[in-house]
Amino acid sequence: MLLAGPSTDVCFRLPDPVDRGTLRRLVGEAQARLAEGGLRPGGAVALRLPPSLAYVVNLLATWRSGAQAILLDHRLTDHEVEQALERLTPQVVVAPVRTGPAALKVFVDVTEGVTAHSDRPAGSPHAVIQLSSGSTGPSKVIGRSAASLVAEVRRYTRIDGVALPGERIILLPSMVHVLGLVGGLLYGLHARITLVPPDRLSGDAVLAAVAADDTPATVLGVPFHIGLLASTRSAGPLPQLKRMTTGGELVPAAVVAAFTDRFGVPLGNMYGMTEVGVIGTDLHGRHRPAIAPAPGIEVRESATGELWVSCPESPYVGLSDPDRWSDGWLHTRDAGLVDPDTGLVTVRGRLDSQVSVGGLKVDLTEVEATLAGLPGVGAAVVVYDDGITAYVQPDGPLSEEALEKLIAERLAGYKRPRTLHLLDRLPRTTTGKLVRSTQALRAATP
Amino acid sequence: MSGQPDLGRADLLTMLAEMTAKPVDQVSDRVGSMELAWLVHLVEQRYDRRLDLTDDQLAGIRTVDDALAVFHACLTAPADG
Repeated sequence: MLLAGPSTDVCFRLPDPVDRGTLRRLVGEAQARLAEGGLRPGGAVALRLPPSLAYVVNLLATWRSGAQAILLDHRLTDHEVEQALERLTPQVVVAPVRTGPAALKVFVDVTEGVTAHSDRPAGSPHAVIQLSSGSTGPSKVIGRSAASLVAEVRRYTRIDGVALPGERIILLPSMVHVLGLVGGLLYGLHARITLVPPDRLSGDAVLAAVAADDTPATVLGVPFHIGLLASTRSAGPLPQLKRMTTGGELVPAAVVAAFTDRFGVPLGNMYGMTEVGVIGTDLHGRHRPAIAPAPGIEVRESATGELWVSCPESPYVGLSDPDRWSDGWLHTRDAGLVDPDTGLVTVRGRLDSQVSVGGLKVDLTEVEATLAGLPGVGAAVVVYDDGITAYVQPDGPLSEEALEKLIAERLAGYKRPRTLHLLDRLPRTTTGKLVRSTQALRAATP
Repeated sequence: MSGQPDLGRADLLTMLAEMTAKPVDQVSDRVGSMELAWLVHLVEQRYDRRLDLTDDQLAGIRTVDDALAVFHACLTAPADG
């Protein structure tokens, strides 16, 4: 489904072309290295690699070995990775032994190494395991079966407005997370689309990637990337640019206008979750902010106004929580509306403590639990106030610098508070509970 | 380009305000990876040249002032260096 096709088909431009024949050969070689490292069918491989050809090759080699892939975002700290490995017991871990320059790179040149880790079989029958920032402190473990991934790739083939065979996807999102993984990598390989990561993360580099070939190009990204493109200087027409599509949080109308005025092509919007993949799309920008459910996906509104999405099996590993999944329905924790006449879905925001930072989901509860557990911290409250904001009550001498250092050891960069406030006493209710109102916290800050 | 570039702290704060759609006086001094990518991109647009930053330079940037110092160093280096 992914590697089949003519050997001369170009799968990637990095910018040198990587054709399907080369990819098949690299995957075969990686399979041998994984087996030498101790991987057996039914085992699991933890991939701790930045976006790179090595990541793609080892992911495909893992699946061809009949094993489960555990995807660890390369930005996770050693502490976060250790916690994950303790729970997931992969047979081998694949990590870089040498990394080329990474400054502002979208794709990195990596030489990987395979290290034996455990002799246990995979903890679940899933093809892929992803970690999601968890509301109970440690990350939630989310599994997708091969059937679920195949079904999602097939959904993409039926969505009007996706890149077509022979075209290109300018790939900006991380392939560890669902949009880049399935909407970019897996759909691209299946549909014989050339995947093109720009030379670096800048507006000019994205436009240069679009202009580098004659075939139509769709830019896939998150809302942050729209601003990069919209703020470039015009250097003439760019007829290859077909569309830009972003997932993640909703895009403000002014940003949409700036983009469409500048490029004159549709700005598409997608809604999806790690648990189930793409849920709905508006790739022509006709229904903004609403989306139409993807083919084969049902969305309904619960009695409490929460969006529920059809999902045959629970995606959660080691967690049975009927508030998150029950009877074939995934409870998204997103408030929303389903139009009874058109079926269009409008997402109105989170019902829990999850926020989106550059398209990555961060649960404030995880950040708060981590901070509260640090030495020298008596209590902590973390809120979203134009960015992740932490209010910390030390239980001894604690400088902001020392606290920052401790946080950096525990939390990946995108989860770290953008603003830190050290307070002698955090505001509490009369019964002693921590106050979480942004207004009260601001008022208590000197 | 020669001499000190006309790029000040206020310029960077304005760029960050544009990214976050916040008033300039509410922009955080702290710079994460996304803010940094945004600043590099806008500084490149402004000076119409590419800033070739090293991994070490990027890793050392935590605040707006850190970013300003690195941008000054890059902008005063020869463009084709």
